Amino acid sequence: MNVLSKIAALGALALVTACSNNDPSALGGAGGGSGSIVPGSPNDPRSPAYFQQAVGDRVLFAVDQSTLSSEAQSILQGQADWLLANTDYTATIEGHADEQGTREYNLALGARRANAAREFLISRGVAGNRLQTVSYGKERPIEICSTEECYSKNRRAVTVLTGSTAG
Amino acid sequence: MMRLLTSLLVGLTLLSAPASAQTGPLRLELDQGIIEPMPFAVPNFVPDTPAAAQYPTDISRVIAADLTGTGLFREIAPEAFISRVNSFEAPIQFADWKAINADALVTGAVNLSGNTLTVRFRVWDVFSGQELGNGLQFSGPTDGWRRMAHKVADQVYSRITGEGGYFDSRVAFVSESGPKDQRRKRLAIMDYDGANVQYLTDSAAIVLAPRFSPAGDRLLYTSYESGRPRIYLLDVGRVKKQELKTQDGTMSFSPRFSPDGRSIVYSLTQGGNTDLWKMDLASGQSVRLTNTPAIETAPSYAPDGSRIVFESDRSGTPQLYVMPANGGEATRISFGQGRYGTPVWSPRGDLIAFTKQNKGRFHIGVMRVDGSEERLLTASFLDEGPTWSPNGRVIMFTRETQGASGRSSLYSVDISGRNLRPVRTPDGGSDPSWGPLLK
Amino acid sequence: MDTGTKISAIAHVTLIGWALFGGAFRSDPLPMAVQEVSVISAEEFAALTAQRDAPAVAVAPGGLEAPDAQPPAPEPPEPVEEEQPRPEPVSPPEPDPEPQPEPVEAPPEPEIIEQPPVLAEPEPEPEVTVLPALPEAQPRPADKVAPEPIAPPPPDAKPDDVESPAVSLDEGAEIQQEQQDQTAPEEATDQIVTEAEQSDDLSPQRSPRPRPRPSRPQPAAQPDVAEADAPTNPAPQDQAAINDALAEALGASDEPAGPPLTGGEKDAMRLAVSRCWNVGSLSTDALQTVVVVGFSLNRDGTIVPGSLRMLDSSGGSAGAAKQAFDAARRAILRCGAKGYDLPADKYAHWKDIEITFNPERMRIK
Repeated sequence: MNVLSKIAALGALALVTACSNNDPSALGGAGGGSGSIVPGSPNDPRSPAYFQQAVGDRVLFAVDQSTLSSEAQSILQGQADWLLANTDYTATIEGHADEQGTREYNLALGARRANAAREFLISRGVAGNRLQTVSYGKERPIEICSTEECYSKNRRAVTVLTGSTAG
Repeated sequence: MMRLLTSLLVGLTLLSAPASAQTGPLRLELDQGIIEPMPFAVPNFVPDTPAAAQYPTDISRVIAADLTGTGLFREIAPEAFISRVNSFEAPIQFADWKAINADALVTGAVNLSGNTLTVRFRVWDVFSGQELGNGLQFSGPTDGWRRMAHKVADQVYSRITGEGGYFDSRVAFVSESGPKDQRRKRLAIMDYDGANVQYLTDSAAIVLAPRFSPAGDRLLYTSYESGRPRIYLLDVGRVKKQELKTQDGTMSFSPRFSPDGRSIVYSLTQGGNTDLWKMDLASGQSVRLTNTPAIETAPSYAPDGSRIVFESDRSGTPQLYVMPANGGEATRISFGQGRYGTPVWSPRGDLIAFTKQNKGRFHIGVMRVDGSEERLLTASFLDEGPTWSPNGRVIMFTRETQGASGRSSLYSVDISGRNLRPVRTPDGGSDPSWGPLLK
Repeated sequence: MDTGTKISAIAHVTLIGWALFGGAFRSDPLPMAVQEVSVISAEEFAALTAQRDAPAVAVAPGGLEAPDAQPPAPEPPEPVEEEQPRPEPVSPPEPDPEPQPEPVEAPPEPEIIEQPPVLAEPEPEPEVTVLPALPEAQPRPADKVAPEPIAPPPPDAKPDDVESPAVSLDEGAEIQQEQQDQTAPEEATDQIVTEAEQSDDLSPQRSPRPRPRPSRPQPAAQPDVAEADAPTNPAPQDQAAINDALAEALGASDEPAGPPLTGGEKDAMRLAVSRCWNVGSLSTDALQTVVVVGFSLNRDGTIVPGSLRMLDSSGGSAGAAKQAFDAARRAILRCGAKGYDLPADKYAHWKDIEITFNPERMRIK
């Protein structure tokens, strides 16, 4: 077993913890077999799809806040591990806000959130020049209802992989 | 005085009222009146020749719509008219207009000569039988008939109210279509009343918050064209745009012109921190105006250029601050409950319009420049981004409805809080910027 | 723990991890695909959205049918993206004759991507000329005859009546109601209630201005601004005796038939004018201006033609004073069109009237 897969496995372990924090019932649903790994699929630990889905590409924030919760920190730790293992990738972190705020303030708030995620990744060893940030404010919600259920998902920082030369 | 008293005493003593008694005038003081739209009549303008006959009705209708749209005037339906105005030069039969309670009357004529349209008009105070101001005429190509109608309405408005009009003006805004999570935005410009919409960008990149230059010839706006928010300067006449460069890796947004049009103030985000900067447009050089870890955005110049009002969360929540135009100590002016944003200095200089968020609702409000006399004009799920009419009397803003089918549109409201009404746009609309009166 | 065990442990955990995430995400995928929006190229995005943008091309909400031609574009617009073939600028069709609620439906032509930027020059600049004054209209006899068909002053203008609310429209409605619908109702209003203030679910942000009280008759002895002020304005000489006599006389005579107008009569006159004093269309500057207007009445209560004049103004510019005077003049003329109802036996006391119009309480701010 090489170092890379070891790290990937550790990342997965970290996520088991993170995930079970969030959703203990997921454990019960884990009955499927491992199957064979299809390169580029979410089963391939070096694929962007794996990063998005298994590692988790986004962290959520409380109203008006840009501080990282413990859940957010553990997801970002997984992102940092993945990025350290897959050095071909760079990333742009997109900061977002819910619709409860003025347009321009929310742009700045989204930038704060993206930056908080970036700072965390840097603190875990990811090179700063691999990480860009951009804010979309409230321009790109993923959930469109006007209740806290949707707002909580829209207050997010999403790490989008770029510069993929993965093989 | 002696004589007066004597006569009074005599009168009281005799308990009679000799009509011949010498008295001064009866003096009364009124402090209560009514506030209601002034009734006016605009009979169709008279065509000088049959060839001109296609214009008068349209012109009269635009004038009436402009005046009615202010909420300060109420049109008397033409069906109620007793008199017909068949000649622009004939004397006015005021009794006929008094009888239908018209306070003001606008008469006019239209002449067509080749491609040149000439519109003449007069404004009458019906009950005094006097003309308000002088008759005027506007001449121009037939294409410009709408502008001529707006100009007539501006004259009528200012002669009666005593303040400048705002009808011959344009509004830049963001035209919005598509669902909330895939909203397409295009920069657009239109007449103040929603006519003549023209698009200035396509919807390939998100565009935000256009701002007119003081002369109305240029627009500042924010676009994601390069992948991140950057400020662009657009020549409105030539539809030619130019990016205003800031450092790589930064976001720049929230630009506003200085009153002389030579520089802009804007927000620059470096890392997670957003401060205000000022850029000289000729040289492209920027200087920093604020330097705090807080978010500072939505700046707006006082009309004299001496101060800038802006939004900052340095206190923990977004509030309004005023600072000298070159930076320096900022004074907080908003102290009510809730969060304040997007302050905009009125063209008269006496008021600041703002967005307020409190208890789950949004409001457009106005306050004096020292923060006193705050008044909220609207209340809805989401109102934001006020812009002033050129005369400082009306505020246009964005109203977004809630839920998955939420839609953005433009509204306007008189600074009294009366006359809240939607502004027609072909699709959704947001981020209006009201330009100056056209020359 | 030996290395073999470690490896085994790690391998097991990894396996469990796969099982967990594979299973979890197969059943409950996160909505990742949405993020593609930020990744696709501008051209792709434009192409994807082209069809929905097409209708906007044809829209020109002018509201009036007329030869409102687009200004010609002297220069071809700058192409924003090079790769998209751009159609020629499309002139909007003729606007509808009436503001129609429904958006103009354009056929969703897939070829038309979007209207490219078009020239946004305002319409051509009109020239301005001042016209000579119109000759005076000869007044018709009817103007002077009392029983003429002039409608009485609006009886509904009670100063303390229900305020007319700010027009509130259905959210998101396709907005075009007739504009007349939005004018204020007939009732006069003595205070402005904004949308912010009328919201039920909102605790008051500010207390509304107190309602002015209706005018109340004042005791006749109460010094007023009129000439009956004498008791409070004694001449510097030895007026004490006269004052005493006057006070006695006033105290003794409550009869309304006395020569000076009673407080009630003055209030009636005040109210009669205030019903027509409409400050709703005055500028904020004019609303800061106090004007004093003088005029004379005939014995029948009608206004002596030409007698109206501004005696004084304060608080605003000359222009504002003119607008304030115009409004005051309209009030006097309009409500006095049929003549004011004043006690004929006291004509000497109301032959000449001076009214101070103070809009302080009527101000927006």
